[in-house]
Amino acid sequence: MKEIVSPICKWIGLPGVTIIISWAALTWLIGCAANQESGQVAAGTTPSAAEKSGAQLWAENCVRCHNIRSPSNYSPAQWEVVMMHMRVRTNLTPEEHKKIIEFLKSGT
Amino acid sequence: MRAMPMIVNRTITSAFVALICLVIPFAAVAQDAASSPSSSDYVSRAEYDKLKADHEAMKKELEALKTAVRQMANGTVPAVPAEGPAPATKPTEGKQVVTTTTPQTDVAALQAEVDTLKTQVKETFPGTTKFLLAGYGTAGFTARSGEDPFFDAAFNAIFLWKLTDRLFFEGELEFEFEDEATTTNLEIAQVSYLLNDYMTIGVGRFLNPMNFFVERQHMNWVNKLPDKPLAVYDGLFPESELGAQLRGVIPIGPTKLEYAAFVANAPGLITAPGDLSELGMLDFDNDANIGGHVAVGGRIGFIPIPQLEVGYGIQRSKVGPRDHAVENVLQSVDFNYVSDSTLLKGLINARAQWGWSHVGHFIYDPDGRQGFGPLAFNNNRNGGYAELAYRPTHIDNNVIKNFEPVVRYDRLNQLHTPVGFDEQRWTLGLNYWLTPSAVIKAAYEFDDKNGGARDQDAFMLQVAVGF
Repeated sequence: MKEIVSPICKWIGLPGVTIIISWAALTWLIGCAANQESGQVAAGTTPSAAEKSGAQLWAENCVRCHNIRSPSNYSPAQWEVVMMHMRVRTNLTPEEHKKIIEFLKSGT
Repeated sequence: MRAMPMIVNRTITSAFVALICLVIPFAAVAQDAASSPSSSDYVSRAEYDKLKADHEAMKKELEALKTAVRQMANGTVPAVPAEGPAPATKPTEGKQVVTTTTPQTDVAALQAEVDTLKTQVKETFPGTTKFLLAGYGTAGFTARSGEDPFFDAAFNAIFLWKLTDRLFFEGELEFEFEDEATTTNLEIAQVSYLLNDYMTIGVGRFLNPMNFFVERQHMNWVNKLPDKPLAVYDGLFPESELGAQLRGVIPIGPTKLEYAAFVANAPGLITAPGDLSELGMLDFDNDANIGGHVAVGGRIGFIPIPQLEVGYGIQRSKVGPRDHAVENVLQSVDFNYVSDSTLLKGLINARAQWGWSHVGHFIYDPDGRQGFGPLAFNNNRNGGYAELAYRPTHIDNNVIKNFEPVVRYDRLNQLHTPVGFDEQRWTLGLNYWLTPSAVIKAAYEFDDKNGGARDQDAFMLQVAVGF
């Protein structure tokens, strides 16, 4: 294990190791705090993409980078292109991609 | 003479018997006929043949209809029978003709109408592929202390082509004013192919996957302030890469793990600059790949909850002349938290990114021919930004809910390099959103440089529109 970890640590340097550990800890803390607030972890009901609606996934994923645009901004054919672009750029899962595009098309 | 009457009698008797034999059957037929309709209702041979012909024609017509229905059910176009539809029989007495057209002609007419509509709809699309011209435009004004104030404008056209469900092309051209001329830059030209649901390969020129700000936030209608933060944009990292990347996402329950890995042309090392402060910096426009090095890098992002994304990116390569190449390592960490808070009645954007650039020990101007050497040093720089924006989207006022105050701190540490100073800035901004993708931005920037460099505070205005 040490043979693997040491070269990696040397390769990315001390700042990288420090930041990765700090970020992992921060992520874990924020994630726990957010979930405890909603009680989802305790209840074991944190929803995955398969359990969310297209509208919910649209709001959650798009707003992470920019203001959400109305489904009426584009035609169904245009949304297909936009969503392909977003799937590649922002790493959407196939479930998210499918549900969001269905929602956007239904609202045009 | 007696024989003659006997012969006559026998003849008469025989004729009588014969007459009876002939009459009896007809009498029997006559008795049966007494209970039947009159002789005028009898079917003649000609009528029988005509009825038979009509029956055969109807059978053929029924078979043709059955065939048409089957073809329609299968989604195929009903074939027009080789023989035309049976000609409508001439109306005769006692027969009613409801319509002069047959079901085949109705189906054919309907099909022709559908075909016309299909053609008209298809004419609205550019071929079988799907194309979209998107992008953004910007107009701005900057008044920076120690410089002449100026207006500027830029236009980025993004060409998106969905060739198939798996194949996609993305190109971006940037037109902007620079040094009193309009320049054109090819920002992106990437072909992407979805290998499977969770892995995409891309080749060409693409935005730097290790740099979150560049890939997701640098567009002017997305970026919250009129200018871009130090270090992470046009500073420590390349904006785009020329090579190939493999990227995707791994859903882990309710969380997601993003990944991107790439190989690309390595940056060049500036060893003979016109401005000495650039000595030891990296040339990210090394499209010809002078030096022949390859950069390898990537980013891992984690989304534990929908509101939060954190990531770590790295790029590693050799830089400099082939026989004196030195190590270059670029690293970045990013933090992005966006939440629609009912408690604060609005949308909160909290973002931060920090980066490090390391260029190994290199001897510049080793023989002194350039007049400043030999000079040997490691070029280590770092910097980044933290930004907070709040938009009161839940407030029931159509004007106030579109305002968005922003505060940003950004910094670039490069005191111990030929640049010779560190720089930090505080920027206060106020945005007004006309639409979700159109914004007016105003900001004031407080600049602070150490190492003897002059501070350059700035007032900036910008209008940005995404489409």
